[in-house]
Amino acid sequence: MDATRTTKMASFRDMFFSAKPTLLFPSLEGLGVGWGMGARNNPPPAPPGRGVPGSRERFPKWFLAAIFLVIIAIEGPVQALLDLRSEGRPQVLDFLSQAPTQDNLRTFESALEDNAWSAEAVRPAMQYFRYALGEDLGAKALAGKDDWLFYRAGAEFLMQPWPHAVEGGGTDDPLGAIVDFRDTLAQRDIALLVVIAPGKASIYPDKLSARIAETDERIYGHARAFLDRLAEASVPTVDLFARYATAREGHEAPLYLERDTHWSPEGLRLAAKAVAERVIKEGWIPNGTLEYAIQPVEVSRVGDVLRMADSPYITARFAPESIACAQVTDPATGQPYADEAEAPPVLVLGDSFLRIYQSDAPGSAGFIAHLARELKQPVASIVSDGGASTLVRQELARHPELLHGKKLVIWEFVERDLRFGTEGWQKVKLGD
Amino acid sequence: MVFTSHIFLFYFLPITLLVYYLLPRGRNLFLLAASYIFYGWWNPWFVGLMFFATAVNYACGLVIAREAVGTPRRKHALVVSIVVSLGLLGFFKYFMFFENNLNALLTVFGADALPVLQIILPVGISFFIFQSLSYTIDVYRGDSPPVRTFSDFACFVALFPQLIAGPIVRYNTIAAQLVEREHTLDKFSSGAALFMLGFAKKILLANAMGMAADAVFAAESPGTVDAWFGIVAYAFQIYFDFSAYSDMAIGLGRMFGFEFPRNFNAPYLAESITDFWRRWHISLSTFLRDYLYIPLGGNRRGEGRTYANLAIVMLLGGLWHGASWNFVLWGAFHGALLALERKLGGGLFEKAPRPLRVGGTFVLILFSWVLFRAVTLAESADYFQALFIPRSASGGAILLDSILYTRGNLLIMGLCAVLTFRRLQAHDWVERLTLPRVVTITALFLLAIMTMHVQAFNPFLYFQF
Repeated sequence: MDATRTTKMASFRDMFFSAKPTLLFPSLEGLGVGWGMGARNNPPPAPPGRGVPGSRERFPKWFLAAIFLVIIAIEGPVQALLDLRSEGRPQVLDFLSQAPTQDNLRTFESALEDNAWSAEAVRPAMQYFRYALGEDLGAKALAGKDDWLFYRAGAEFLMQPWPHAVEGGGTDDPLGAIVDFRDTLAQRDIALLVVIAPGKASIYPDKLSARIAETDERIYGHARAFLDRLAEASVPTVDLFARYATAREGHEAPLYLERDTHWSPEGLRLAAKAVAERVIKEGWIPNGTLEYAIQPVEVSRVGDVLRMADSPYITARFAPESIACAQVTDPATGQPYADEAEAPPVLVLGDSFLRIYQSDAPGSAGFIAHLARELKQPVASIVSDGGASTLVRQELARHPELLHGKKLVIWEFVERDLRFGTEGWQKVKLGD
Repeated sequence: MVFTSHIFLFYFLPITLLVYYLLPRGRNLFLLAASYIFYGWWNPWFVGLMFFATAVNYACGLVIAREAVGTPRRKHALVVSIVVSLGLLGFFKYFMFFENNLNALLTVFGADALPVLQIILPVGISFFIFQSLSYTIDVYRGDSPPVRTFSDFACFVALFPQLIAGPIVRYNTIAAQLVEREHTLDKFSSGAALFMLGFAKKILLANAMGMAADAVFAAESPGTVDAWFGIVAYAFQIYFDFSAYSDMAIGLGRMFGFEFPRNFNAPYLAESITDFWRRWHISLSTFLRDYLYIPLGGNRRGEGRTYANLAIVMLLGGLWHGASWNFVLWGAFHGALLALERKLGGGLFEKAPRPLRVGGTFVLILFSWVLFRAVTLAESADYFQALFIPRSASGGAILLDSILYTRGNLLIMGLCAVLTFRRLQAHDWVERLTLPRVVTITALFLLAIMTMHVQAFNPFLYFQF
């Protein structure tokens, strides 16, 4: 006999006010099957003279069951109503409109969670609570000293082992991809110059760790080893790590923003100068003649690491950084510097380190503009946020005309991309 | 689907509870369907594998039950059940391990390595295979009656509350409950309370400790203090993670009228390794005792055979956790300590005061967790070196302090220590629900839900086994 088939509905009064373990829902009572461990969780008998027997003991159980059910049951209907109002259709119905493949299920689940009203409602306050209580800035950011914030992946790249010599030409092999790209360009008489942008934690470890003094050595073992491997493979590079370390010893202005992953105007000027020096020294391109002017511009920036914490309450705790930028302008027209895609002999590829101050505010004050100023000629550029390992070359492959007339490609990527580059390090074929 | 996910908590569970309690009949069949959806959420194809294992063991159980005791067909049916079940487990869990070791051996002798067949490990396979096997063995031994219907048996194998990470529910424990079970307010409320506490333990304690432990184990060259911090964090992570899952499983079971066996009983308060195994993953240790140690002869065939049996059980127990030499060594370590304690007639710290007995046992367990957590033997050796040879962190690992010694981590580690060493067990706490306790449980549950919304790190350690 199936007990779940033969049912008896307990009355409301029996369920909540009886001293016996009454039925919660239709089922059989008193068949002797219950607590397998022998400890039947009957409420103790009510003390004499306390009204309805057992009611005081039953109330917490009733209350807990009710509140549990309310908590878990309220999300779905509220979300459906909100979806109906905003989208005209509950998002949960997407489940029925897709084949139940592993990928579809993951996508559906993530979307449901990301768009949940409860998550959106509590996330900012909860993140702030965790930061205030435990210095926790979430999965992507780390709190350092003196209100400096760091991108977690950048710090993890330094902490964790990284095989400098991945062989086999897979997507984990940056050297293979770089050498392949160098050789592809060489067939077109174009030189390649690789520029690894140091991560903030490499140059300012003392701002992240209490165990490092300002005067201690910088931390860039992986990048150093990789630069050596590039040198062995005869790939020309610019060693910004050494430059930055020297600059820090000289107590120059900060090379990075305090609450951003990227370099400061000072840091990018130093990088542009170092790259230009190498380009001029090698004689890869004819000397330029344009004398760009500099226009001081001040911008205010919250910082991308602070944004990663995803809480306006945390953001409000920090004042936006006021940044003194140097905008590069054409002295003849007074207009801010602009790339020239086809004429110049230099193409610059890179990530958000090239985007900051350049296409971001104030504009024309980033690495590209300052490189052009140092080279005394405009350059062409392709920038892909977080995609300098592969995506930027794929973009180049889609626009091969950008290589026409070029003598030099400068390829910038941030240090951590050696391991965490988006789409890895694929070999990319360039079209004609 | 994991219990601490948005979709489980706010969609799967309320819908399943609602339909279950609205159904006047066929509740086991409905639970089976819900369990298949729950399991298929990882990979729908794995449901087919589970169904196959279920069907084979059900058919073998029928033959065993029908044939008279002592007939060859009865024995053959048991053998088929064991061979198919362990064959599936062996193929999905251990075949790649075998291939890799074979290749390593071939390379030593100068031969070319063979291509390795890449096999995806179905989540929770060790648990549902062991449960299916327990059925045919129990029926063969006469410890349990055969199941009435295929759907009841399939429901037992797939029952979603304990499907993925236990507790391992043996058929004879649950056989009667599959036929008839009570649904009372007492049971439902204590189940909900246990689920809520388990949820909070997992989200608030285990995940935070897991992030710290992962950072140390992933670091290139952690210092000695970092290494100790990391292994203590891991000890807390694995305990609060796994016991939280068990609490949630038992709690969910109660909400659906089932009573699953307790799986943990303050394991870090153990005064010896023998005592530890009476408190840690109790459903596995009793399973191994009843289905392996005792059939091997237990302690009834002389001292030497007892030690050999202990070693076999612990080595296989280690391998059950995963296909790697680290788990074999972990099992061997525990087997050796169990044998030594048996030889000494008590714990290694028998004569010490209780705090030292507990502390000494805890440290031994920490060492075993190094083997359990590290991926390779070389990684284990490096970690032991960091633990025992005093050194400072070097290279990039010097930055570890920015992740490890935050206010939040220190607070949570302190909380874990208090909860671990003060015998405060969720299982016992929900036995008597008073209003202050209900308020505390609700507050913790709400805090955990809010934390879930900001946590990206949310693995369940025992899912991989």
